[in-house]
This record gives sequence, C-alpha cells and structure tokens, in this order.
Amino acid sequence: MTLDPANLLKLLGLDLPPDRLEEVVGVFKEIRAEIDKLHALDLADLHPAVVFRPIEAEKRDG
Amino acid sequence: MAELWSLPITELSERLRSGRTSPVELLEAYLDRIERHNPVLAAFVHINANARAAAEEAHAAIRDGDWKGALHGIPIAVKDNHTTADMPTHAGSEVPLDLPEEDGAAVARLRAAGAVLIGKTRMHEFAWGMETPPARNPHDADRVPGGSSGGSGVAVAAGFAAAALGSDTGGSIRIPASLCGCVGLKPTFGLIGRSGIVPHSWSLDHAGPLAASVADAALLAAVMAGPDRDDPGSAGREADDWSDALGAGVRGMTVGVCRTHFFEALDAEVEAATEAAIRGLAAAGAHIVEFEVPELSAALGAIFAVELASSTTYHLPRLRDGSVARFAPDVRLLVEMGRLVSAVDYLQAERYRRHLGQRFAVIFRDVDAVLSPTMPLTAWRVGQREVTIADRPESVLAVSWRLTHPWNLLGAPAISVPFGVDRSRLPIGVQVAAAPHNEKDMLRVAMEIENRGGGPMARVGFPGSRS
Repeated sequence: MTLDPANLLKLLGLDLPPDRLEEVVGVFKEIRAEIDKLHALDLADLHPAVVFRPIEAEKRDG
Repeated sequence: MAELWSLPITELSERLRSGRTSPVELLEAYLDRIERHNPVLAAFVHINANARAAAEEAHAAIRDGDWKGALHGIPIAVKDNHTTADMPTHAGSEVPLDLPEEDGAAVARLRAAGAVLIGKTRMHEFAWGMETPPARNPHDADRVPGGSSGGSGVAVAAGFAAAALGSDTGGSIRIPASLCGCVGLKPTFGLIGRSGIVPHSWSLDHAGPLAASVADAALLAAVMAGPDRDDPGSAGREADDWSDALGAGVRGMTVGVCRTHFFEALDAEVEAATEAAIRGLAAAGAHIVEFEVPELSAALGAIFAVELASSTTYHLPRLRDGSVARFAPDVRLLVEMGRLVSAVDYLQAERYRRHLGQRFAVIFRDVDAVLSPTMPLTAWRVGQREVTIADRPESVLAVSWRLTHPWNLLGAPAISVPFGVDRSRLPIGVQVAAAPHNEKDMLRVAMEIENRGGGPMARVGFPGSRS
C-alpha cells in the first residue's frame, strides 16, 4: 500500500489548504526546535504536572 | 493639590470613607480623563453605562455608615476576557463568542467589595500577543503598551481608573505593567478563581491586578483571592494575611539572582537598572545569592507546547466553522499552528513543568524571593518586528515574554514593579517572584524596590493637557 501524504495530513487533523499549511509549518519550525529540547531531557519516571482527579458526586439534600 | 485620578487606592479609600471625596466625583475624574485621552490611547473598548449608578449607590452607602472596605466606591477597569454582568465580553475579538453576561469569580469579588466597574479594557485578541493593537503607550504614543492586558496597563498608567483587572498566561499582566510603568501582580496559580475568564491555556492562565502601587496590587489580589468551585484549578483557599509584609523591609531576607536565562541578552539600561535594584536590596540588609538552573533553556518549548495545544483545543469550534479566518492574522496563525503540537509534546512539557517545580522547590528552601528584570527591553515602536539586544537579533514577540513565562510554568507568584526609566524616559520594570503561596516574601521585596525607586508610580500627566 502506498501512503498518500494528503490522506496522512487529514489523518492527523491538518486539514488546511496546502499553501496555508506550508506557511503555518514554516513559522512552526522555530517552535519545533524549542519543543525538541524537551524531548532531549531525561525525566526518568516523572509524572506530568497535570494529573487526572475524579470528580466527587454531591448527594441531593434529603 | 494632587488630582484625584493620580492617587493610589490607599489614599483614595481614606478620602471616600471620610466623605472628603464622593465616589461619583472620583468616577467623573476618570471619565473625564478617558474622554480626553482614550481616543489616542485606545485603552477602553466599553464604558459601563451602570458605573454612575454604582458610584451613587456607593456614595449613599458610605454616607449612611455602611462602608464595605478599601475598594468601596473605587473605579476599577476590567480586561475584556473577564465576563461581566452588565457589560459584553469579546476577548478582543470580532468573532461572536456568545459569552454569558454574568460576573466571573474575580469580578464578582470586586463587585461584592464595593468596587465600581468603570469599563472593559482592550486586550490582544484571545490573549495571544504582546502588543494590543490599536492601544498605544501613554509614555510615547508611537510605542506599544504591551499585552495581552495592554488596555489595562494603559488605563492605570494614564489615570483612566484606580486599577485594572488583567490575566497572565505567559506574562500578560507583568509585560504591560513593565512597558507602561505600573505594578502588575500575578499571584499563585488558582489563588484567584478563573471561572468567567475566556480560556487561553487552562493550566497557565492566572488572574490578577495592574495597579499604581505594590500596596494597591496586594489589596486587589487579596480581595479577589478565594475558592472558586467553578475553576478546576482553584487553589481553594483565601489569601494569607499579607498586611505585615508591606512595611517589613528586607533585612535578613535571602534574595536569589539566577544569571542563567533571566540575565541573558538584556538591554544595557534594563540590566543597569536591575543591578541597581539588587544593590539597593543588599544595602537594605538582604542577603543576595546567585544560583543557576540550566534546565530553563527548555522553558520556551514547554510553554509553547502547552499554550499552543490548549489554545487550539479551546478554539476547535472556530476552526471547524471557519470563523478563525476572521481572527487577526497573527492570532489565526498561532491557533492553526497548535495542531502541529503532539500529545507527546504536550505531556513531555507537563513532565518538564514538574521537574522544574522540583528544582525550584529546592532553591526556595534557602531563597525567599528571586529578582530579575521583568522584560529584556523597554517599549518598542508600533510596527517594529525585531530588536537586536546584546548583538542577538530576536523577534519582539519572542523577547517580550522570555523572563516572565517561567513563573507561569511554575504557577509561582510574580510581580513587576517600575524601577527607573531609560534614556527615552520609557519605564523599566523589575520582577520579583517567590515560591507558590509565598506572596508575602514577594511583596516584602517588591515594596523595598518601590520605595527605593521613589515610591508609587506617577501617572502620566500628558504635557499641554489641563488634566
């Protein structure tokens, strides 16, 4: 099976017209380089700052 | 005699309480300033038609002995991303948002304390920028006021209101405070409830005041702080009693200076002012220590990952229906760009935030507060896109939040205090931060800096104008 890049973009939710996508990606490159610095960090088994907390139910009065 | 619009709340509240000045007279003084100077400075997007009735009500209550406290009858401006019962909310956008006309948590607390809500201030669209067009800096109308709470910074500096409400996701209270020359306070994450604020980034958004003095900012933050059951990030507690902090001085305190990140590539005059502030604290009896946090080099990637992903998630309906095309081009670009941030990027950023928090928790065992410039530069010209500082070309947007966003990642309290001006008479801001929920030590240092800078800021007088 060959992979159609257009379908891949749709699969990833990047449904922008090609010229607009090129513009957005062009600006994002610098930010990508900053985010990549995060990936280089060894954070061992550290949990993320935001964790799931279940919502407690409040009983009806009476 | 000093003009009413030039006085800090601490002085105004005594005048109102004693009956020397009525809330209506005070409101009129600000409205007159707005009428004269807002056409150029563009700080307000809406004036509250109910403000006069609220001022009259406050006047009658105070006259009858029912004084609610230091904010009773004081006109306060509100950033356009806080929902309000008697004013529309647009978050700086032309795209209809259908937001409820009801008070958010912070606004409700201000109103309950008797504050008169004078109007809504202009903001950079959806809090996604540092310029707030078309608002202008009161110190030089050819320059930007900063953002995203730019209208609030202008309103305070120009004497359009006693103080203003802002929000801060990466520096949006402290940046306009620094560029406009007023005090901007971002308390600990969740200490002031965020329900009613149009979200920008749920885990980074903070509410807080811009004010004419450290004491005014502390007063407003204390009034707005408290549990908010509609904010999942609420700290669930009232503010500690900070009153002792304001007159305590800094003798015996340990103030940290982090040369990595916070002192890199600074404008020479900003750097000189900050070094003078450090020397001043040492002269006042503080012990100055230096420390390093090399991991701060990854902070920009972390805040971009969280902010972009969150903002894009919030705006999914507008991406879906195409109304994002009506956003300002810079904001549209960022909202569309958030789709390029992966879930892995986001979660790694959140793990990094925890790591950074652990690093600073160790530092804050020995350090009471951390001092730095608020921004590497002073207000830049409208339309300017790049600056070169210390031989390093950088976009003004990248440079503007470089020193403020780490405290959003950490959820720690931080305040910007005016401390001198550059050769163009543009204000310089110094930033003081402390451990989460240690606003007290942050305020002690901030007060010392304010005192050494000559006391509370002077509002801009506009030469050639009679008020």
